[in-house]
Amino acid sequence: MKFAIALFSAAHAPSSRRALLFAQAALAGGHEIVRLFFYQDGVYNASDAVVTPQDELDLPKQWRTFITEQKLDGVVCIAAALRRGALNAEEAKRYQREAISVSAPWELSGLGQLHDAVQDADSLICFGGA
Amino acid sequence: MAKSLLIISRQSPWSGPGAREALDIVLAGGAFDLPIGLLFLDDGVLQLAAGQSAKVLQQKDLSANLQALPMFGVEELFYCADSASTRGLGNLSLAEAQPLAAEQITALIDRYDQVITL
Amino acid sequence: MSTLHVLSHSPFGDDRLTSCLRLIGSADALLLSGDAVYALQPGTAPFTALQNRQIKLFVLAEDTQARAIDVPDWAEAIDYPAFVELSIHHDKVNSWL
Repeated sequence: MKFAIALFSAAHAPSSRRALLFAQAALAGGHEIVRLFFYQDGVYNASDAVVTPQDELDLPKQWRTFITEQKLDGVVCIAAALRRGALNAEEAKRYQREAISVSAPWELSGLGQLHDAVQDADSLICFGGA
Repeated sequence: MAKSLLIISRQSPWSGPGAREALDIVLAGGAFDLPIGLLFLDDGVLQLAAGQSAKVLQQKDLSANLQALPMFGVEELFYCADSASTRGLGNLSLAEAQPLAAEQITALIDRYDQVITL
Repeated sequence: MSTLHVLSHSPFGDDRLTSCLRLIGSADALLLSGDAVYALQPGTAPFTALQNRQIKLFVLAEDTQARAIDVPDWAEAIDYPAFVELSIHHDKVNSWL
């Protein structure tokens, strides 16, 4: 089964952790994840600038590790990211900002990537809200 | 054959970026010629209230984007009749949106291949 | 055609559960996750509403455990692998974000 997984909430939201656990279970179950798409506050999961105390769950780091190790496509909606101040080097240069908080493996791209994933996958699962 | 996607928009126009970001998904889908439907449900129907002014709140006016939907090939526009009447909405600003009763919405969700409710 | 609806907000002071129950189809299933599991608190309106409906009701086990909520026999507690299987079993998943 091919899944497209979209996340709409920030790293501190419980739904973000649920999304990661679902994604891990999907791969463990032998399924494929065609894309992870981060929209609305989900873009904050891609931020390098999130600092988590050592004894707490570091979700941005866990996402980064998961995407890197499993060689997944982790796409962040560029419009949502700009609106929330999550810029990569290219966008920071374009808009002449100092703060760069998004880097590889995260990729900033458009909503077309979400639609593309929906078309490619057998199932779309969204996480977000609370 | 392309998979169809129903977007269910439940946020009022200026409670945050929700209404606008739901509409952006619809517009992007339309731009790629995909079969997209849009249902306004619960507070989402408030986006369709007549006589609103985004300018007063220094917010983006979504009504222009809503009116443009058919031009983007998005003609499947619906709103929940119950949500509109509980919120005292009479005249809606989007003439093309069809009112649906609850059981019609159940059938609508069934008709689409995928759904995003935000 | 069947849809798996997923809720994650508390049913108190939020209208997602009410709206979902208005629209849920007879072949559909409902998964309560996060704070939505508070709907299984006995003696509450959401508990009664769910008990009276003939829906296939699932609940994410970790969330009931964390909140010390008992799972009634008309609901099934599941883990993440079962969540994945459930999402495959239905034609689509409708998360009420």
